[in-house]
Amino acid sequence: MALLSSDTGPLEHGRIYKRSRLRLLSALCAGAFAALHAAPAAAGDTVRISGLSDVAFGSISNFSGDSVQSQSLCLYSKSPPADHYRITAAGSGPGGAFLLSSGSATLPFDVQWSDSAGQSSGSQLLPNQPLTGQQSSAGAGSADDCSSGPGTTASLIIILRSASLSTAASGSYSGTLSLLVAPE
Amino acid sequence: MNISRYSKCGLLIAGAALAMPASALAATQGTAGATSTGSVSISATIPGRVQLSGLADVAFGTVDPTVAAAQAENVCVWSNTSGKGYTVTATGSGTSNAFTVSDGTNTVPYSVEWAGSSGQSSGTALVSGTALGGLSSTAANPTCSAGPSATASLIVRMTAASLQAAVASSYLGTLTLLVAPQ
Repeated sequence: MALLSSDTGPLEHGRIYKRSRLRLLSALCAGAFAALHAAPAAAGDTVRISGLSDVAFGSISNFSGDSVQSQSLCLYSKSPPADHYRITAAGSGPGGAFLLSSGSATLPFDVQWSDSAGQSSGSQLLPNQPLTGQQSSAGAGSADDCSSGPGTTASLIIILRSASLSTAASGSYSGTLSLLVAPE
Repeated sequence: MNISRYSKCGLLIAGAALAMPASALAATQGTAGATSTGSVSISATIPGRVQLSGLADVAFGTVDPTVAAAQAENVCVWSNTSGKGYTVTATGSGTSNAFTVSDGTNTVPYSVEWAGSSGQSSGTALVSGTALGGLSSTAANPTCSAGPSATASLIVRMTAASLQAAVASSYLGTLTLLVAPQ
């Protein structure tokens, strides 16, 4: 077993045991993460996220309300029988936090997801935590880029909260949001 | 002549490259597979903003002309610049924005002082139309509702000499304060 293999001499049994336990724990954690984030429902299930656009809020001068940007995109999921999928988001802040930065200043943002197009609100996403039970209207029989219709199947909503805007330092903020989808 | 034109062109291109925002990074699209990953860049610009609030009218009431009069009040100034800095510029309603109150015929001069912290009874004298800079705010939000409740002091004074020279009457004027990010 690779997990229990030894790369040390015979006088280091205690260290070997400790290291093996660590390897086993890390393998179990990695397995759990993979199962949580990426386990396909069945062999041959396929997903694809496309049609994403950069989110540019521009110059925000009104801090009394939230600033919201939403976009419709293509989420293809061929995962019979119901074409379900899960989505996991990670920002470019520490630990995947949803943070924009401008030098040392940061600006948090919220991420919401809807499994239908044209929405301006949806389910709240948390960094690195999958949102399960989503369903795509583009599955088997559809093109994986939604070119055969429907053109878009989901909505991504980014929100800069008023409370954050009114306490943020002036500056140009930027960051990245990564979205991982997997069939269920 | 041509060299000069090319040099200008080169400078323009260099400037454009330096000014390219982070948002120029394009979104990435996922590919079909057992999992699929896409990404977007997010950008927002928050311009420098200030807000002045918590102002109250200054009513001296009936004053004793033998004694100088002063009124001080706490106000909230919020600034979102990195150093929370701001400038303040005051203008009166007198001729050429002079700090004077009037009864329609006669005028009485007053002076204006500003302190960059609350609870002060004196500060830096303001000159009408001239910005006082180097101030910074401690406000956590635009209206100071998240504390501290006030961040600056406005002081208005009338000297005994001015009061003694004034004709007995009721005087009124307006003081306008302009704050700007710094």
